[in-house]
Amino acid sequence: MAGATRPTTVRERVSDADVSAGRLLLVAAGVLFWGWLLVSWVNRWLGGVVVPVGDPLVAPGLVEGALASLPALATYASDAAFVVQLTPNLAQGTWLTVVITGVSLVVGFFLAVPLAVARVYGRFSAWLSLAYTELLRGTPLLAQLFVLYYGLNLGRYVPGALSGVFPRDVVWVAILGFTLNGAAYQAEYIRGAVESVDEGQITAGRAIGLSKVESIYHVVLPQALRYAIPSWTNEFVYLIKYSSLAAFITVPELYYRADQVASETFRYTLIFVVTGAMYLALVITASKLMERVDDRVAIPGLGAARER
Amino acid sequence: MSDSDDGFLRVSDVSKWYGDEQVLHDVSFEMSRGDVTVLIGPSGSGKSTMLRCVNRLAEAQEGSILLDGEEVLSPDLDVDDLRREVGMVFQGFNLFAHLSAVGNVALGPRRVLGLSEREARERAEAQLERVGLGDQLDSYPAELSGGQQQRVGIARALAMEPKLMLFDEPTSALDPELIGEVLEVMHGLVDEGMTMLVVTHEMSFAREVADEIVFLDDGRVVERGPPDQLFERPEKERTGRFLERIASHD
Amino acid sequence: MSALGTLAPAAVDSLGALASGGAPSVAASDVAAVASGLVVGTADWWFIGEPADWWFVLDNADYLGVGVLLTIGLTVASILFGFALGFPAGAVEVYGDGLLKRAVGTVGVVLRGTPIVVILIVMYFVVGVPQINFGVASLSPPVVAGILGLGLRSAAYQSQIFRATLASVDDGQLEAGRSVGLSRFEAIRYVVVPQALRRSIPGFQNEFTIVLKDTSIVFAIGLAELLTRGYDLFSERTTAVLEVILFISAIYFVLTFTTNRALDYLGTRYAIPEGEST
Ligand SMILES: Nc1ncnc2c1ncn2[C@@H]1O[C@H](COP(=O)(O)OP(=O)(O)O)[C@@H](O)[C@H]1O
Ligand SMILES: [Mg+2]
Repeated sequence: MAGATRPTTVRERVSDADVSAGRLLLVAAGVLFWGWLLVSWVNRWLGGVVVPVGDPLVAPGLVEGALASLPALATYASDAAFVVQLTPNLAQGTWLTVVITGVSLVVGFFLAVPLAVARVYGRFSAWLSLAYTELLRGTPLLAQLFVLYYGLNLGRYVPGALSGVFPRDVVWVAILGFTLNGAAYQAEYIRGAVESVDEGQITAGRAIGLSKVESIYHVVLPQALRYAIPSWTNEFVYLIKYSSLAAFITVPELYYRADQVASETFRYTLIFVVTGAMYLALVITASKLMERVDDRVAIPGLGAARER
Repeated sequence: MSDSDDGFLRVSDVSKWYGDEQVLHDVSFEMSRGDVTVLIGPSGSGKSTMLRCVNRLAEAQEGSILLDGEEVLSPDLDVDDLRREVGMVFQGFNLFAHLSAVGNVALGPRRVLGLSEREARERAEAQLERVGLGDQLDSYPAELSGGQQQRVGIARALAMEPKLMLFDEPTSALDPELIGEVLEVMHGLVDEGMTMLVVTHEMSFAREVADEIVFLDDGRVVERGPPDQLFERPEKERTGRFLERIASHD
Repeated sequence: MSALGTLAPAAVDSLGALASGGAPSVAASDVAAVASGLVVGTADWWFIGEPADWWFVLDNADYLGVGVLLTIGLTVASILFGFALGFPAGAVEVYGDGLLKRAVGTVGVVLRGTPIVVILIVMYFVVGVPQINFGVASLSPPVVAGILGLGLRSAAYQSQIFRATLASVDDGQLEAGRSVGLSRFEAIRYVVVPQALRRSIPGFQNEFTIVLKDTSIVFAIGLAELLTRGYDLFSERTTAVLEVILFISAIYFVLTFTTNRALDYLGTRYAIPEGEST
């Protein structure tokens, strides 16, 4: 934009370099992380075209040998080899984590928009929407998963057509749980954004002959959904993290697999630190992605004014 | 013009309540096709409400509003149809914040009139040219000055090819130096023969273009008449006092 | 021990002296039902459940009651711990600079980017928290790990609340404070902080209910709070699964609802008078 012509001071240039070095590191780590995940997944789907299914992409022995030859890193060599040994398992778990989060988020979104609109513009439906969001936001997610899995035993009802898609039918129960729960939180964020759209916008829509529903659809929602992006990103991040609770209804996602290996090998520290880092990587990816989306859809002239 | 009363818009004994508060008391006036009528009156006197009753953004409880022979207040009337034919310009512009100037103007033709994407855009471009914004087609509201925004607002209303235009204090939210460009556009519309019902405090503009001035106070029509008469020889004392107050502000 | 598998029985006595609720009372005839796995009650209308199962829930109300107390205690302790760390952290992010600010920021990103269940497990297994004795009561390792985990994570979120509200106080306030002779620290302490704290109430409210709900996740380290006790109960009597979970969900709802209303009240009570906006 304008105003970028002022000569930078040395200090600024140094800190710029600092920032871009950090950025570069982050991007490199991201590429490595996602590259590893994608190659692992594709390898599994294609029945082991790169390495045999279940084997790490790089032989643990190789990593151990390489590190052992470096004096500074030699002490970590066996730990590193252990982690490499785990990678196929972790990649497989991460796949479910990503699927559960993604599907729940998207389906939840399509429930959340009508919930939010009903809450703002409805009468009777506003009460229904309020009751739904308050109930789901007022009780623990884990309790909700228990209701679906243990209480209603929904795992039994997964249709045959779906049950083959994932290793366990119960994944569908988890997706249902996160969808219903996430819809409530998303609705709350979207409602806030809908309310922040000036009332004159609907009036103007009505004045050119749009019906109320059309005004909401063409005028209010396009603005509200943009405004909702920052808080909606929070919900995205929350879902990634809370998808780990699916482990407690036996869904073999990332946390579940980590826990399994940990209880077999007793290497809790290493395994959970690595697992934590993987969730962190997913979370950072999500928020960077949404930052991009936010920039992309920013309304010219308004984007800069909005603090974030 | 006004001497050949064709009853294009006939407002008779319109009353309106918000809750228990009556904000319009038996308001009556009429306009012919091509007329410009200016509503004046102190703040809170019901000018905006009267205007909004004409396109049913507000619902009058009593009286009758005939537009081109049709009863506006009839419960059977399709309000969306009505609003298609009556354009409105707001004090606060109310431009759609997420759409460019062209997008703002094209939305109605596209979604309400059902024009194709291209036709709607062409029509929008033509209207923006008409208000002198041919060079700002793709600017967004937040990138435009107040005067430019209001001109987009006018173009947006014009794009529906309305037979009546309502203006609710179109220049009140503008910095003084931006008022002129908007009034100029409105002048142009007058010259083209547009029928306009205008709420404004710009007395010299009113004087120049109005066929009739209606002075509202406390929801009642205190006095109405051609500008010369109303401004020079007001019959009611209240009218004179109001005009003095306004003049002393200029 | 696998956190996901065999947690229920070990969980019961985790708060030592405080948690004296004992094991759930189960009739001998119900034990057979345990073996048959988890099945839904066979009532005419599933939502109502079996009256007998509801009686079972009520019979064990005191057992769940102790769980409620633990849940509340855990929430309050975690929030306070989170405040004690989170407020200074927020201040550092606004007023600090250099290494300290960076360190605080990074720790915050990590804590906010990691699932709470992972944080809890790390606290429990990795940090290897000790039993803490206060003479009258003792805190078992799961309790200490729970407070540490929930508290640290809450600190990371609370720091963001305070960072935002501290930054939202107009710079002119600080200058005005300095202009009457307060030091920078005093101006922050006596002028900015009181305003920021009041503005923090809505965010704090949100955080409070999040912590309250997330206490249920200490299930993972076998701490016998409300949800874990519910799990124990329905593991003992598998026809009452839905009844038990709905009952404890209702308790959670009442807890979050009353907390929210109480904090609403606090919010209006301590709001800075603003007069009619024109
Ligand atoms: N939506 C509304 N609800 C209740 N009262 C209203 C509403 N809109 C306007 N009023 C009241 O109606 C009266 C006339 O308002 P308005 O038509 O806006 O006056 P003017 O445009 O002449 O300033 C005022 O007393 C105002 O307070
Ligand atoms: Mg008005």
